[in-house]
Amino acid sequence: MILLLEQLLNGLQFGVMLFLMAAGLTLVFGIMGLINLAHGSLYMIGAYAAAWATLQTGSFLLGLLAGLTAAAVIGMALEAAILRRLYAREHLDQVLATFGVILFCNEAVAMIFGRQPLMAGPPAWLSGSVEIVPGVPYPVYRLAIIATGLVVAAGLYLLISRTRIGMLVRAGATHRELVGALGVRIGLLYTAVFGLGALLAGLAGALTGPLLAVQVGMGERILITTFVVIVIGGLGSVRGALAGAMLVGMVDTLTRGFLPAALRAVLPASEADALGSGLSSMAVFILMAIVLLWRPRGLFPAHA
Amino acid sequence: MSALLEVRGLAKRFGGLVATDGLNLDVQAGEIHALIGPNGAGKTTAIAQIAGELRPDAGTIRLAGQDVTALPVPARVKAGMTRSFQITQVLMQSTALANVAMVEQVRQGHSFRLWRPAARDERLLAPARAMLQRVGLAARADVAAEDLSHGERRQLELAMALATHPRLLLLDEPMAGLGATESAAMTALLAALKQEVAILLVEHDMDAVFALADRITVLEGGRVIASGAPDAIRADPAVREAYLGAA
Amino acid sequence: MRESPRQIIVLAISFALLAALPWIAGAVGRPDFVTLGSQACVMAIAAASLDLLMGRTGLPSFGHAAWLGLGAYTVGILAFHARDLGPWALQAWAVWPLAVLVPAALAAVIGALCLRTSGISFIMITLAFAQMFFFLFVALKTYGGDDGLTLRRRSTIPGIAPRDDVAFFYVCLVALVLVLLLLRRVAASRFGTVLDGIRQNERRMMAMGLAPFPYKLAAFVLSAAIAGLAGALHVNLFRFASPDVLHWTMSGELMVMVVLGGLGSLWGAVFGAAAMVVLHAVLAQWTEHWQIVLGPILVAVVLLARRGVWGALGGK
Repeated sequence: MILLLEQLLNGLQFGVMLFLMAAGLTLVFGIMGLINLAHGSLYMIGAYAAAWATLQTGSFLLGLLAGLTAAAVIGMALEAAILRRLYAREHLDQVLATFGVILFCNEAVAMIFGRQPLMAGPPAWLSGSVEIVPGVPYPVYRLAIIATGLVVAAGLYLLISRTRIGMLVRAGATHRELVGALGVRIGLLYTAVFGLGALLAGLAGALTGPLLAVQVGMGERILITTFVVIVIGGLGSVRGALAGAMLVGMVDTLTRGFLPAALRAVLPASEADALGSGLSSMAVFILMAIVLLWRPRGLFPAHA
Repeated sequence: MSALLEVRGLAKRFGGLVATDGLNLDVQAGEIHALIGPNGAGKTTAIAQIAGELRPDAGTIRLAGQDVTALPVPARVKAGMTRSFQITQVLMQSTALANVAMVEQVRQGHSFRLWRPAARDERLLAPARAMLQRVGLAARADVAAEDLSHGERRQLELAMALATHPRLLLLDEPMAGLGATESAAMTALLAALKQEVAILLVEHDMDAVFALADRITVLEGGRVIASGAPDAIRADPAVREAYLGAA
Repeated sequence: MRESPRQIIVLAISFALLAALPWIAGAVGRPDFVTLGSQACVMAIAAASLDLLMGRTGLPSFGHAAWLGLGAYTVGILAFHARDLGPWALQAWAVWPLAVLVPAALAAVIGALCLRTSGISFIMITLAFAQMFFFLFVALKTYGGDDGLTLRRRSTIPGIAPRDDVAFFYVCLVALVLVLLLLRRVAASRFGTVLDGIRQNERRMMAMGLAPFPYKLAAFVLSAAIAGLAGALHVNLFRFASPDVLHWTMSGELMVMVVLGGLGSLWGAVFGAAAMVVLHAVLAQWTEHWQIVLGPILVAVVLLARRGVWGALGGK
């Protein structure tokens, strides 16, 4: 029971991270029609910049700031230099070009920071645990991530549903010419949206860094899980991204947490662990297959 | 005897917009039935539902007595109902001949034949050439569709629809973008077709409509406001007000 | 699909050079060129099979490495259990057909799921399913997990010594030529014509009375089957099956090969594969960080030279 509560919170925390990634990716796709594989690279850049700055200055907050700045600045530079030319191209071109960007980013990071992972734990004021209910301690840092993620989700909702920028964003997704005709500088809007997506990816990277090893290849690992989130939630829909992220976060965490133990009841321990870890790493993909059988366009399809 | 095509109570809405509102429509074997109405009256939406590309919210569609409402597009084509497109849809990189040969190939049954070359198969090419001849495109058989003129592509579009050997043709603005001579040629072609295939014709060219149609149905706001012989339609005050008067 | 005279000349010269590769390698004292040649043939088979999907049918699969890897692991796992299964599990005539059938069977299931989507979702979902196999084999510690599975000796082919790299090169070359002839034949058949029609205008094909799904699925399965053969050759070439073969970067590189060579031209996939293998070798010799060069090259190719090597040869 205690374990279950803990795993549910872990699932929520992973889901929140996935949402930060998926929201940016799906916004960029919904508005500019771009599939950006290098979104995972921005996550990695955020994580590296944050970890490095934290280690240099000893300040977690300065690290966080560095991570956000690096991801947003590099993201917008990337948009202006390369990705902007891809909006009108076929998806295949977008995939190949951003694949090239990933190879470049991974290798550049490896050259700068080496292949050894960077380790920067959570700051002292966020380490330790609190008892969420009596007798159940839970790490403060993970709670902080959950809180941050939920605040960002709420902010994103307000931004999209209540503000002029959000109105343009919503209109831009369906009526590109119309927005252009309103006299809005669409190029500027695109760069801003892309920057927002990059910022969210950088935030995800910077926050996740202290929980795991910051290393080359971390971006693609989460990118592919983010794709699963988006396919499940429905392409181009922020609400779908939220639902998909929570579902995937929970399913992944809970199967990893409980499946090996459950199998151990019926199989010898070593086999149960091997099978359990194999099956639980496949769980989210099986979830995706089930959702697709039921709803080929995802849970919350945006109007295409 | 029941009609070849019977549409009953067809309804479709997009959000708050009612595109088709309880449409009833019959097409008899051997007739040309024109569907007209001002822009936005729901003609193309109706065609899309009858052809099976769009699922209606309510209503039934019967072809020769068979309920086809739930059938997907390819199955409706096999049942004998083929559409042409308002915006030309042909295989742009293939020749005119290859386009029609492809239709013939599909009509002849499944294409799970992975070995014999298709490009010199006379069982496909002979009927395809005959069909191009018929629509007056024989001389342009080996030209890629992307290099054909707009008018020629409209002819090709018709040839491809005919090559499915339909009992009912759904023609969505076959005259769209044609010049006066081309329109006259197309009108003559359609008139000659009437012997063998029934036609549901959506068209803005009123000269063509009144020259060809045996019956006319007028749509406005997704509803039928009049239906009958051309002379009756021409005289109908509601039609004149809603449509002809404005034109 | 007809080749221009210039393309035919280039094709003839290329294959003559390839056939003479072992002598050339001997003459310049670089026996490693033979392995490079085998690798180019294997990747060319995989790329050509992907071109059937991407170039012919218009289905950009980002998960093709899955079939390559499953073919490789089929051979590797059967050899691993050869003591229990019997000597047939080491024979090429028995094992290679299985390396074709296993990916084909799984592709039938996964293809049926993936083809429920289209466009960008199709790209994402093929990538995701391929990554599922990657994670599965990483988790399978029995078969080496992360470290991969070593093949103690190559599959037995009567009359060919298992350690003879030159002979194995010719096995790969013959396999490549046969695959290319098969794919060319298929492309010109009624089936291939339908695939081309689906790529050009799926809506029109439906309006002709064609239900596209079975054809797309058949193309998906055929393509996976041929990639499985490439996998069987790959594991034999390096005597090693590793999760790297299943990794998503392999899928990406296969796509790059097809586009680099020229989408839909079949021969282009061969040239693209050869170019990538050579580029890898050259860059890797020059710097450990060769990907920092490859990445920008990719971006430049996409932005500037969309028709690929083969298309440029065709002129126009």
